[in-house]
Parts: sequence; structure tokens; C-alpha cells
Amino acid sequence: MERHANPEDPDLYALGALDGEEKQAFEAHVRTCSACARDLKTAQQRVALLGLAAPAVAPPPSVKESLMRRARAERAPEAVRRQEAVRPERLRGFAWLTPAFGVATVFFATLAALIWMKDVRDNRRIDELQSQLALAQSRTVEIAKAAEETDELVGVPGTMQVALAQQLGSAAGRAGVLYNSRMGMVMYAGQMAPAPEGKSYQLWVVPSTGAPISLGVFSATDSNVAMSAHVPQGTVAKAFAVTVEPRGGMPQPTGPKVLVGAVG
Amino acid sequence: MTAPMQRVPDLALVEGIMAGDEGALAALYDRYAGMLYAMLVRILRDTSAAEEVLQDLFLQLWRGASRFDASRGSLPTWLLVIGRNRALSRLRGREHREFLQDRDEFAIETVPSPGNLEDEASRAQLMERLKGALETLPPEQKEALELAYFEGMTQTEIAARTGAPLGTVKSRVRAAMQSLKQCFDDGTTRQSGRS
Repeated sequence: MERHANPEDPDLYALGALDGEEKQAFEAHVRTCSACARDLKTAQQRVALLGLAAPAVAPPPSVKESLMRRARAERAPEAVRRQEAVRPERLRGFAWLTPAFGVATVFFATLAALIWMKDVRDNRRIDELQSQLALAQSRTVEIAKAAEETDELVGVPGTMQVALAQQLGSAAGRAGVLYNSRMGMVMYAGQMAPAPEGKSYQLWVVPSTGAPISLGVFSATDSNVAMSAHVPQGTVAKAFAVTVEPRGGMPQPTGPKVLVGAVG
Repeated sequence: MTAPMQRVPDLALVEGIMAGDEGALAALYDRYAGMLYAMLVRILRDTSAAEEVLQDLFLQLWRGASRFDASRGSLPTWLLVIGRNRALSRLRGREHREFLQDRDEFAIETVPSPGNLEDEASRAQLMERLKGALETLPPEQKEALELAYFEGMTQTEIAARTGAPLGTVKSRVRAAMQSLKQCFDDGTTRQSGRS
């Protein structure tokens, strides 16, 4: 019969202090020994609370203010989904403005703002795009809000546009990203075929070093998406990509790439 | 005389977040930010870095509250575990893979905590008991425990730092955790005794 783990191992493991072969041996043992697995749970329970022993200190009010500002800008994904579910009812009077067209309008409005900032010479095209922006802003609150977030990005130097190219063999789709490395902000707009049953689309930033970082998961049933995201501080983006993942997304990409765009 | 205001359970606030209620996020922040920030400052020794991690922690909750599974553990325990992981990852660099940064943090099983951490008074009592218990530990046991918890050191690193043999480090951590066990068990007994 296999011997139980050393009595100190559950505590050391829960603390993250067990290392080397001892750690591997403990992990293997716990998978098959319910008694040691129980000891580990108890140890994890106690270790989790050790943080309460830190000397009390309150965060400055600015942290909460900034958090609420960012939360407002991002909105909870579940809430967005719920709102999208009732959108057809609310837009009955504007049947021509389908969600797909709404997203596409935001996308082109974004481009319009970017092109305006870069002072592109094609004034006629700018006029068209600006009128689309005005139209979008006047039609729906959702589009106005997305445009507001976009303004944050295009109103500052250093914002770049990255077109995401459809990959061979993937379902039809198109998308683009506005990215500002200094602000760590990303605005994504895309129009794609619905994700396969049980799957989601997931947007990634591929840093110049290290593993891809998830920027968000799209609803599995509604593939028309406009959203903003924040890239972790210090990240230098090399590319953006959209992959197909199990519903809810994955910590690291596992599925096929459907859209990819290199930065710069 | 007015009746005391009913405390909204964590789970109801998590559901509020799922519905896009910013007030629910603010309420959870008010409830747990102090506890988390204290731990983050202790680990990072840098208030700016602690503020960033604190904000990111609650943003993660805002982005994916539906993926928080209450059956796996309580919200405050989850926040403490994830907060520590993130702070240590930041402190020691991303290569310190012990701290789960590459795993789905919502799937972490934190198991229910002793006592009721949702209640501020109970939380404060547990904090006091814990601090008291740590103060009564022999200095070498306390040091080993703090190097592991707050600095994320492995047993080998602790042995190298303190100059103690590896077996001694193990024994010190074990003894320290046994002393704290008493503290937690007392807390659980008191809680259940009251109800």
C-alpha cells in the first residue's frame, strides 16, 4: 500500500512552498488518496486566511473611483448579453437597424474617427463616414456609448489600427482593432459567422514576449461584437488574434485561429 | 428607532454584477477592499502596485462574475487566494508558475472558510485572533511562515535564506500551521456556538 504524504506536506503545498520532486510526488499521491486530499483542503482553507494577518491599511478613494470608471466603460459581459437579448423589442421601430448593421456602423464610425485624426485627404470619404457616425450616434444608446469609448482611443497620439485577416479555412468574418500601447487600451469591432455549437470566439493579444493574454470572450450565439478591453501594463503587443474556444473561453488559446492581425 | 439595515449576501451582489449593477460591484469593493489591500501592500511593499492589483481583481470579477462558483468556496477566500497569487506573480516575475497565473482563476477551489467572512465583525475578530496567534509563534516559525506566505518562497529558498536545514524549515512551517489550526478551530467553535 502506498504511504501517505509527510504530515507537513499539505501545509507546505498549500503555501506554495513545496518544490522539486517532493511537490511532484505529493501531487501524484493526492490524486489517489482521499485522506491526504482532505488534509490538503483543510490546509488550503487555513492558508487562504493568512492574508488577514497583514497590518490594516485602507486603499485611497481614487482606487474605487478608477475601478468604477473602468467598470462603467467595460460593462459586465453578462449584462451586455442580457441587453442584447431585449434589443429586437426595443428596436422594433428601427427594424432596418439590425444588430449586425449596428456593429458594422460602430466599426466604420471608428474608422472615420481614426481617419479624421490622421488627416487623410479623401474628404469625400470622410464626409460619408462622418455622416455614418452622426447617424449611429443619433440612433441607439448602445452605439453612442461604444463611440464614446472609441473617442477615448482615437483622441490621443499613438493609436493604431490593426486589421484582422481571415485565416484559411475559417468561417467568413472581418474585424479590426484600435490599439494604443501607452494607454493599454483596445477597441475591437467585428462581424463574424456565429460560433459553432458549444463554442465561443475569444480575442487575444500576443505579446512580444510571453504567452497570449485573453482580452475577452464573445457570446457563442451573437458573433457581432464591439467591445473595449485593457492590455496589462507593460505588455508590448505583437499581434491580435481571434480563436474558437470552448464556451466561456480558455486561459490560453487551444482552438483554431480564425482572425489574425500583426501590429505595426 | 430604525431597524438595522439588512446586509446583502455576497451571492446576491455577485448576481447584481452579472446584471450589470455597478452598485453591487461598489458594495463588494467596500466590503473587501480593505482586507485585500492590506495583504497586497504587505506582499508588494508598494502601494501603487497594490492599488493596481486590487483594481484588476475587482475588474476581473466585473468581467466574469457568472463564472464564480460559490460551491467551490466563499468569495472573500477566493479574492484572498487570487489576490495573493497575482501579487506574488508580480513580485517574483511571471516565471514563478506556482501561482496559477496561467490557469483559469475562477476555477480555483478555495473551500469554505471558517466563520463568516461576509460579516465585518466576525472578520475583524478572526483577524485579531490570527494576528495574536502569529505573535505568539516562536520567531523562527513565524519567519518561515511569513517568507512562504508573503514572499512566496519555496522551502528550499527559505532554507537558503535562513541558513536552516531543509528538514528544519519543514518542521517550523508545520509547527506554525498547527498553532494556527488551534486559532481557526476556536473561531469555528465560537461561530457555531453562537448560531
